Amino acid sequence: MKLLNATNNGILRKITVLFIAGLLSACGASNVVIQGNFPTPNINKIPLSVAVYYDESLREFAYMEYSETGREEINIESGLSHMQLFDAVLPAMFDQVIPVTSLEDAASRNVDAVFAPAIEEFQLALPAKTKLDVYEVWIKYNMRLLTSEGDYIADWVLTSYGKTPTETFRSVEDGINEAAVVALRDLASSFSLSFAQVPEVRDWLSNL
Amino acid sequence: MKIITTIKLIKLSAAFFVVSIFTACTSTTVDEFRQGETGIESDESVVILGRRQASDYGTRSEFVECVGERMNRGENAISVVPEQEFVDAMFPWFEPRTAPLRTRDLEQLMAEDVVARKMNDFGIRYIVWVDGFTETSGRTGSISCTAGPGGAGCFGFGTWEDDANFDARVWDVGSLRNVGTINADATGQSYLPALVVPIPLIARVEANACSRLATQLQDFVNGS
Repeated sequence: MKLLNATNNGILRKITVLFIAGLLSACGASNVVIQGNFPTPNINKIPLSVAVYYDESLREFAYMEYSETGREEINIESGLSHMQLFDAVLPAMFDQVIPVTSLEDAASRNVDAVFAPAIEEFQLALPAKTKLDVYEVWIKYNMRLLTSEGDYIADWVLTSYGKTPTETFRSVEDGINEAAVVALRDLASSFSLSFAQVPEVRDWLSNL
Repeated sequence: MKIITTIKLIKLSAAFFVVSIFTACTSTTVDEFRQGETGIESDESVVILGRRQASDYGTRSEFVECVGERMNRGENAISVVPEQEFVDAMFPWFEPRTAPLRTRDLEQLMAEDVVARKMNDFGIRYIVWVDGFTETSGRTGSISCTAGPGGAGCFGFGTWEDDANFDARVWDVGSLRNVGTINADATGQSYLPALVVPIPLIARVEANACSRLATQLQDFVNGS
């Protein structure tokens, strides 16, 4: 009997802890980690050896969406998905791609250029706020191409946009994820197709 | 014996009544505009793609999938390449920002060796661009639900109108021309009466638009 009571008390305690944890999590911001599959682009490779450097701000990139009352609402983590995207795109664009952990590390590698992307701005539009039946994501990037010594080759701004329609049984988190994946694919398509047309890059390529 | 027959008749009438409510709620109109000859060989296929360039809506991939599945069925079944598989294989040429908007753009795109090769690998004869959405309007009525120690229940009445309007443009990849446009417009009134339990009588406008559009596209592509 005593054993039964002890077991019941244990279960009750666990339920109480779970209930309190549930209440607390309902009060805080929800977290969305962007996840998606990014295909390899079907484009002609540029015969270059490029080192790629993801700085900490890109690796750990997160955006916080606030409610109209200023309360933290949704935290969107997209650093990892950005790295996965570039890891899928860059090998299709260049003959050789070498990931480096710092710009100094790139200097010791025999590469033609160092590519260092950075996220400048992230915007989110939710159907509850815009009154449109779509989730929208805008991302503004600063694309930097440097020599292996760290000198400037090109520095250009690229924007990407993604939207996805609302669905009856789709959660807000899934809607945001879908829109962000569309935006990331948009980045990959415009980056891979426009890279050689960026004036500074075009000039640099013609002088190689 | 007579009683059993009467009960059966009542049940049957009730079933017909319910079915008639469901079917009477939707009306669908399909328009076809043909601009060229069509026909498809057994080793050729079709890809159905959703247009997602508009700022305030995007063609739902579920609708595109529905049309593709239905075209792939029946006596005149046509081989349909799934949208996502095609877009991924063609990446980055058929993304919302880079997809061809006119047949002239498709001509330029086909000049790219990679695109022409992939298109040939899939055996694509026609590209069907589906563009549209379902709009809900005229929401009226109200339903209130309460729960207490003795039980729970809802009371009230709600109604709304759905309008699904979809265009399908058919591009011939062989001749690089637009060979026709089909429009499907389905409207329907949905009702939600609640007497303790809410009974949804939903007008399946999008499903009807999908079914009619797919049938028409099947005939169109087969050249009949």
